[in-house]
Amino acid sequence: MAQHLVIYTVVHQPRRLKLPAQPIPRGAVPRDIERCLFDERMNRRYFEKVARTCYHPASQLFLELADRGLKLCIGFSLSFLRQAELWDEALLERFRRLVNHPNVELINVEPYHSFLFYVDIDAFWRRMRQAAEHVRRLFGLRRAPSVTDTTEMFMSNDIYFALVRAGFRGAFMDGRPWVMGWREPSYLYHYTRDLYLLTRHFRLSDDVGYRFSNRSWALWPLFADTYAAWVAEAGGDLVTIGWDFETFGEHHWQETGIFDFMRALPDELGRRGVQALLASEAIQRLAPRSHHLPLPAFPTTWAGEGGVEFFLGNPAQQAIFQLMHHVYHKALLTRDPALVDLALWLLQSDNLHLIQWFGRRGSEAEVSAYFTPREWWRLGPGGIIHELQQVYRNFLVAMDAFLTGEVVYLPGEGPPPARRNAPRPELPPLGPAAQAPAAAAGADGRREAAASQLGTAVAPEAAPPRPSRRRTARLP
Amino acid sequence: MRSSDSRPAPGLRTSLGPERTEFVLLAFEGPDPYSRAGGLGVRVTQLARSLAEMGYRTHQIFVGSPELPGYEEQAGGLLRLYRWCQWISRYYPHGVYEGENEKLYDFNETVPEFVAERIALPAVRAGRVVVVLAEEWHTAHAVCEISDRLWEAGIRRHALLVWNANNTMGFDRINWGRLGYVATLTTVSRYMKHVMWGRGVNPMVIPNGIAPEALAPVHPRQVAALRRGLAEGGGRVLLVKVGRFDPDKRWLMAVEAVAQLKAMGLAPRLVMRGGIEPHEYEVLGRARALGLTVMPVHQEGEPTAARLASLLASHPDVDVFNLKFFVPDPLLRALYRAADAVLANSGIEPFGLVGLEVMGAGGVAVTGATGEDYAVPYHNAVVLETDDPREIVHHVARLAEEPALGEALRRNGHETAARFAWPDVIAGMLDRLAFAARLQGVAWPAPAAASEGEGPERAREAAAAAEEAP
Repeated sequence: MAQHLVIYTVVHQPRRLKLPAQPIPRGAVPRDIERCLFDERMNRRYFEKVARTCYHPASQLFLELADRGLKLCIGFSLSFLRQAELWDEALLERFRRLVNHPNVELINVEPYHSFLFYVDIDAFWRRMRQAAEHVRRLFGLRRAPSVTDTTEMFMSNDIYFALVRAGFRGAFMDGRPWVMGWREPSYLYHYTRDLYLLTRHFRLSDDVGYRFSNRSWALWPLFADTYAAWVAEAGGDLVTIGWDFETFGEHHWQETGIFDFMRALPDELGRRGVQALLASEAIQRLAPRSHHLPLPAFPTTWAGEGGVEFFLGNPAQQAIFQLMHHVYHKALLTRDPALVDLALWLLQSDNLHLIQWFGRRGSEAEVSAYFTPREWWRLGPGGIIHELQQVYRNFLVAMDAFLTGEVVYLPGEGPPPARRNAPRPELPPLGPAAQAPAAAAGADGRREAAASQLGTAVAPEAAPPRPSRRRTARLP
Repeated sequence: MRSSDSRPAPGLRTSLGPERTEFVLLAFEGPDPYSRAGGLGVRVTQLARSLAEMGYRTHQIFVGSPELPGYEEQAGGLLRLYRWCQWISRYYPHGVYEGENEKLYDFNETVPEFVAERIALPAVRAGRVVVVLAEEWHTAHAVCEISDRLWEAGIRRHALLVWNANNTMGFDRINWGRLGYVATLTTVSRYMKHVMWGRGVNPMVIPNGIAPEALAPVHPRQVAALRRGLAEGGGRVLLVKVGRFDPDKRWLMAVEAVAQLKAMGLAPRLVMRGGIEPHEYEVLGRARALGLTVMPVHQEGEPTAARLASLLASHPDVDVFNLKFFVPDPLLRALYRAADAVLANSGIEPFGLVGLEVMGAGGVAVTGATGEDYAVPYHNAVVLETDDPREIVHHVARLAEEPALGEALRRNGHETAARFAWPDVIAGMLDRLAFAARLQGVAWPAPAAASEGEGPERAREAAAAAEEAP
């Protein structure tokens, strides 16, 4: 009988790319490259829609549950936080209240929801530590999160040690049978004693995350008493449940009863003697009797069937994955932190997730297609793949100017000091101010946006006269 | 938006008065020197200015200079200039079509929403119909998107969408089926109408126009200065050619004719102004191969007829003066008037605005024989039927021998040009547009009580109410 339960939800919105790919002006500065890469209007549209259906009502629900004593864990991708800061400060404030609630624990998350761990593990662990400090400041906490999630709950041997180096005490991973072997996920695990692993009970999690509103599911409809009984009946010490936060109101609309389900759950759990814990509490309480878990070389994830094939299983995904490497490595060559930051955004796992459907059928493909912006479908499946690659190709070529010294800086802005032989750049700072889209954020961004419509124009540098070997004259 | 019902929609008026009509002009080219590459910039600039002077609230959206304000009002606020794509243009200082694809993407992405929400909705709220006049293939997709957005906003019936082809460039990039469905198509000559039949559409012909100022007499002192400079430099025949470096403009024919005239001892001087196109190097290469001396002329200070005359006088060994700067109108018109012939000898010309401008300046226009509906051979222009340089030589030599012929051409040409002044052209255009409005089922909205800030919902309600009104 499991007497303990950890509930973890993660809030994430991708920073969607602009399709069809927008050509990038030759010699463009990073701010203008950025506006060509990302579809901020689309991002805002989706953000506002999900905020209406999910983030506002669900955060209110979670506050109520916390007030009633239910302990919860929540993580936020920086991708989401950036959008909330730009477009819905009230929502951010509500999440701030939630995170500061004594019954809620903030979980660290890979900031850009990226595949950085695959491309640059050294940058990954530094990035994770940077992210923890960033969310601590953003939410006004005394201490940075000690428990972390990664992108899509990826975990492998090397990721584990990267998280150890970043200083975390615990991490979430998916408890798939191919990783767990003969073990049950409902215990606390470790590989070394430096970092404890909360293994997500994928079946119980997916009963709500995937199947709750599925009327063709044999066990539909699912009620809180039934679910609490399943949790209680799971053998072991601890059941770890992990959900997308968007489960509540977006993946399952409010009309499905998902909110009522959650409201009823605490009492039903209490009735069966199941106590909800914060992740760090669970680690503290159960660490002395945690079990060793061998970690795989190939990572596990909570997406799809639990392996990396969900993200790299088709040729289109593999091509994007290659391009991710190329843009990131070239950005490093430029030594320009702003370009490195853009490359990191292009490492978002969503850009692989959204094309999982390519050449495939079945429920996973349907889930992937569901997440693909509907505006893209007018390009057709082939068009989406082509244009997605084109975004990376455009960026790759746009960085040429930074290596040949042909960037067109605004008067007064000037080029940065020569970096070609400089040491590898520090990771760019996290936070919306650093990554705000040109059309939505800082003063320069506003200036540029206005220049395209109503505001003051931006003066270009004068083009140097072309030398002529022929006879020439000027008007006397 | 075609309507099978030919009856006017409720509230339809047959005339488009300034009090109830608002124009939006869309084109890549516009009034800035940066935005002018050919006749289109002149056309839209003068059309916009003329509409404003007639009292129409006119919005002109174009790819503007990155060095000028993004928004500007002229004509007492009736003419509103919107310089688009400036953030891209700053990377492409060499003119409107440099970075064309980058600008096109931005134009298509942002203009439709701006027109629908920032121009059309307020106009409809104020009880005005919006007429969108879009030019060239660059705007074709934007027009389709504008139509969709107006539908979404519930005000499509209060807008007339017109798309005009000034030439055949980019025709392969146009979705003709969609464009022909959402907009009334127009073009500038009967030649173009025939060409467009091949695309499955039947455009109305609305000719190009010229500004009334283009008919003003050129100052004789400027003309005299140029002729004097020509003579002092040993020249006898002054030829002028202006246009993009496009093979269709038959630049090679022009320089070959100059070479033949030189061989005949007529001491021609060609003053030419082209664009940034690479065909320039072929043209200049041919000129040099034919033994002509070519000199590029760069701007230093204000370009005037006196300065150019001085240049002609001081370089007697130069046959071709290749102007590498924007030629302001006063100097251009002086050149047209002073020249013995202006070579507007295009092989394919949708309309041939240069020929008309030459006529307006009192010059002798040598035109091709395609879209130049205004040109009547031996009456108001020299009309070439071949691409043989000897045809130019023949006519130039004859003009030199028969000054009376040249005078008659100048006189009749000027009278012809006067009939194409914008106010006259616009009067005809408005009648065509009224007919197009009838075809599209345009309905005049009732002025809404809503304030400007009440948003699309209120405008939709107002528009719906207007349509229900008797």
